[in-house]
Amino acid sequence: MANGLAGKTLRINLATGDIRRFPTDEALYRRWHGGRGITAKILYDEVPRDADPLGPKNIFIINAGIMSGCFIPAGSKVEFGAVSPLTNGPGDSNMGGHLGPALKFAGYDMVIFEDISPKPVYLFVDNDTVELRDATAYWGLKSLDCEKKLKEDLGEDFEIATIGPAGENGILFSCITHDFGRQAGRTGQGAVMGSKKLKAIAVRGNKSIQVHSLDSLRKQVTEIILRTQKHPNMVPWQKYGTAFFIQWSNANACIPAYNFQTTYYEDIDKIDGDQLVEKCLITHKACFGCWMNCGKYTKAVIPGKPEVHLEGPEYETGSLCGSNLGMKDINHVAYINWLLDNLGMDSMSGGGVIAFAMECFQRGLITEADIEGHTLKWGSVDDVEHFLDMVAYKRGIGDWFAGGSKRAAAKIGRGSEKFAMQAKGQEFSGYDGRWAPGMLLSYMTSDIGAHHNRSWTITVDMAEGRDTVEGRAKIVVYLQHIRPLFDTWCICRLFWGELDITPEEIVESLNHITGWGVSVAEVLRTSEMIWNLNRCHYIERNGGNGRSFDYPPARAWEDKIPSGPGMGKGLSLAQIDQMLDEYYAARGWDGKGNPTRALLEDLGLGYAADRLEKAGFLGDPIPGGIPPVRGEKYKPKAF
Amino acid sequence: MVIFLKAGGELRTKLNPDVDFYTRRVETKEGQSLRDILIGIGINPAFVAFAYRDDKVTRLDYVPLDGEVITLQPPVSGG
Repeated sequence: MANGLAGKTLRINLATGDIRRFPTDEALYRRWHGGRGITAKILYDEVPRDADPLGPKNIFIINAGIMSGCFIPAGSKVEFGAVSPLTNGPGDSNMGGHLGPALKFAGYDMVIFEDISPKPVYLFVDNDTVELRDATAYWGLKSLDCEKKLKEDLGEDFEIATIGPAGENGILFSCITHDFGRQAGRTGQGAVMGSKKLKAIAVRGNKSIQVHSLDSLRKQVTEIILRTQKHPNMVPWQKYGTAFFIQWSNANACIPAYNFQTTYYEDIDKIDGDQLVEKCLITHKACFGCWMNCGKYTKAVIPGKPEVHLEGPEYETGSLCGSNLGMKDINHVAYINWLLDNLGMDSMSGGGVIAFAMECFQRGLITEADIEGHTLKWGSVDDVEHFLDMVAYKRGIGDWFAGGSKRAAAKIGRGSEKFAMQAKGQEFSGYDGRWAPGMLLSYMTSDIGAHHNRSWTITVDMAEGRDTVEGRAKIVVYLQHIRPLFDTWCICRLFWGELDITPEEIVESLNHITGWGVSVAEVLRTSEMIWNLNRCHYIERNGGNGRSFDYPPARAWEDKIPSGPGMGKGLSLAQIDQMLDEYYAARGWDGKGNPTRALLEDLGLGYAADRLEKAGFLGDPIPGGIPPVRGEKYKPKAF
Repeated sequence: MVIFLKAGGELRTKLNPDVDFYTRRVETKEGQSLRDILIGIGINPAFVAFAYRDDKVTRLDYVPLDGEVITLQPPVSGG
């Protein structure tokens, strides 16, 4: 194949141990572009709507994407997909590092796991050798420890991805860890691996990948490399990563503090990027094919505790496990990051769940008696360590929180639902949306539950007016099409999206690799198609009109920001409804938030319209018809 | 007094570079903070996550020296 594909797909039945190899379906990639697109399609087609996400009928997919490993900069990502146990909808999560390229160098574009193994196993791939090996000796090990042991046993040149005890025990926000600090964090993919008794993946490969036009690709990429090496923001990225946005987020009243109770943190100077570099940094870390090395390998040193090494904390973990937990020492934030990584929990949802629990403790909704005699006070790293142990092993009320903050709130009741900061069951990213309406709308409407990677609008909100909501929706729609393309192609958004490489240049690289000859408009339609398929899938699985799933927790409109630069700011429920109305109109959905037949057929998804109609949730026809183009690119005006 | 500001992305568009693709020459008054300089050339400081000079992150209350080259980092979301 001279199209960026490795050539083979593996389908593995974990119950029987049957491993089938077949040629990768090029037509499938042409239509769905790989990564998030193909996982969406396979999950939609193959997972029964009533399947338990932790049961045998869920499917777990590893997709290495079309552009990864093709010797372009930052072609490093791999995408995992399964029906999410956290959101009960289609889920996917991407990860940097080296696993995706390694899988392709071994000759495989995708691995599809079915059913459940009778005993713990790990997937061993060494070029043409593919085996399910006994993982009994590794089961129970923490993620980072397991990766270290597998590298000792197999060799340093194997790329390893593992789950920790959290995944083994079915914590619904469990992650997959790789390269001692990269995670596929969101949507509980680690829990799905654990439910299948799949402990780890170990891959080594040394085959080549053929691309369509090597000379053209080489010429174009050389120019991009030389240009980006001189980009003024390259050196700050290399030195500091994303942790340096913590101060900015705080100064602009976006950062979550004390479980999103407020958006300004007085002790930010104790946990910011300066502190990370000064007190914790060991060295910089890069993913495959990238010299941005935004990863920071660090240490956490706390008297009385062992020194630990980790990658991070980057912005999301730094805010959600820093200001959001009232932490006052960067070493404590880093330590919590390490705890979550090693136990195998998403540090974003983890931070959100801990913060929710801390607020419950603050309000007396849970007490020391519930926490094995411990407290859960803001700023206490010891309390967090004990609490996380309870959650990871489902001890006592740890079991309540093992399902995320939404499920915990359902158990606790007494008004706690208001401050379980999540959408569709997945915890918010590290930005408060009360004074950033587009960001709140992004969380509400994300296809996989709250996640900033799908759409991030803070600077748009600042430019257009933070107190108004008009016109925000169509920009969110556009961002929800363009940003997930990086997860579809398995390339890194930080390199390809933040260094003045245009969408046209990215598509040019795609065409040199694949020979597809697509345009930017066409790839945006593909992304829109994937988005709508996921929407249909979510609605079918959850059996309700789309709008019923799109509201944020009541804090979003009941609690005005109580302090800092955003004091007094917040949205009303009427404004939230207005944003949803505009969003659905911009999408070609009806007022109930359901995709319409006209839209789905326009996207080539007539079969999805048939299924949605059968389920009783097909959108009503829109008077005047659907918009001819959905979403609008933001044109920056006055800053 | 003259300083040189560099930026990429949306900030670059607003900066209106005149020295090279990324760089603009800005005449300033002595004692002006970076924040005030940005406002003076029509850039809202809220759109600058931090500045970078002399191999270090710099806050916007910094007062530049004559001839300094300062990079402006726009805010981006986490990965």
